[in-house]
Amino acid sequence: MQRRDFFKKLGTATAIAAVVPTMSFAAGDSKPTGPNKMDYQTALNAITGGKTPVKSDKVKLKTPEIAENGAVVPVTVTVDSPMTPSNYVKAIHILNGKNSNARCIDVFLTPANGKAMFSTRIKLGGTQNVTAVVELSDGTFLIASQSVKVTIGGCG
Amino acid sequence: MAERKSLIKIKPKRYKDGEIVKVSFMVMHPMDTGMGKDKKTKKIIPAKYINSVKFVYNGKEITHMNVWESLSVNPVFTIYMKVNGKGKLVVTYTDNTGEVHEKSKKIKPRG
Repeated sequence: MQRRDFFKKLGTATAIAAVVPTMSFAAGDSKPTGPNKMDYQTALNAITGGKTPVKSDKVKLKTPEIAENGAVVPVTVTVDSPMTPSNYVKAIHILNGKNSNARCIDVFLTPANGKAMFSTRIKLGGTQNVTAVVELSDGTFLIASQSVKVTIGGCG
Repeated sequence: MAERKSLIKIKPKRYKDGEIVKVSFMVMHPMDTGMGKDKKTKKIIPAKYINSVKFVYNGKEITHMNVWESLSVNPVFTIYMKVNGKGKLVVTYTDNTGEVHEKSKKIKPRG
């Protein structure tokens, strides 16, 4: 029985440890610290808060279809938006499908940007989908994704 | 800690007041995930990555970013910005070990 109790306690401890980091990420403005592990679905839920994002042509995600080097994959997200104080893009989130941490970057924009575009370079561990989730000022979420073939993995 | 090199690029080089310009912020940073191993010593390299970037123009925050370790070594952050008079663009980043770096560039619209 002792052994059983031990495993029960271990189970609850890991469950708490698993819940706590996701809780801290639910708040959009909190700064990330330490090596993190998060799968794609929990990351998507943390961003949208349970809402289902809509696929849209307004979001343009530009990545190479075949990346020779996974350590450097250029990603550009452009959103068709007037960027006025009443209607603008609030945030652009870039996610990957299979890295140990699915979140790459959250970008919080303001009307002072003038154009809703963000571009960076990310690391990919293998062939997977890259997803852009866009939050508009009226609270709706748009999504676009593209698969990237990686010939040499770039993590670690 | 050694000084990190960083660079703010504005395109086009000559711009007018009210124009929308492309701003790139580049920084030399290792962006270690905490999972990679040193090939010689076979020890795990501790995590060191940028976790927050801020663009401030004339005291007003334009954009801020939460960053995780999946970004490339020596990352680049590119956004657009509306030029609104003379002033200063200040970009600040912090990383998970508490390192803070600041870089500024003067904004001088012509014509």
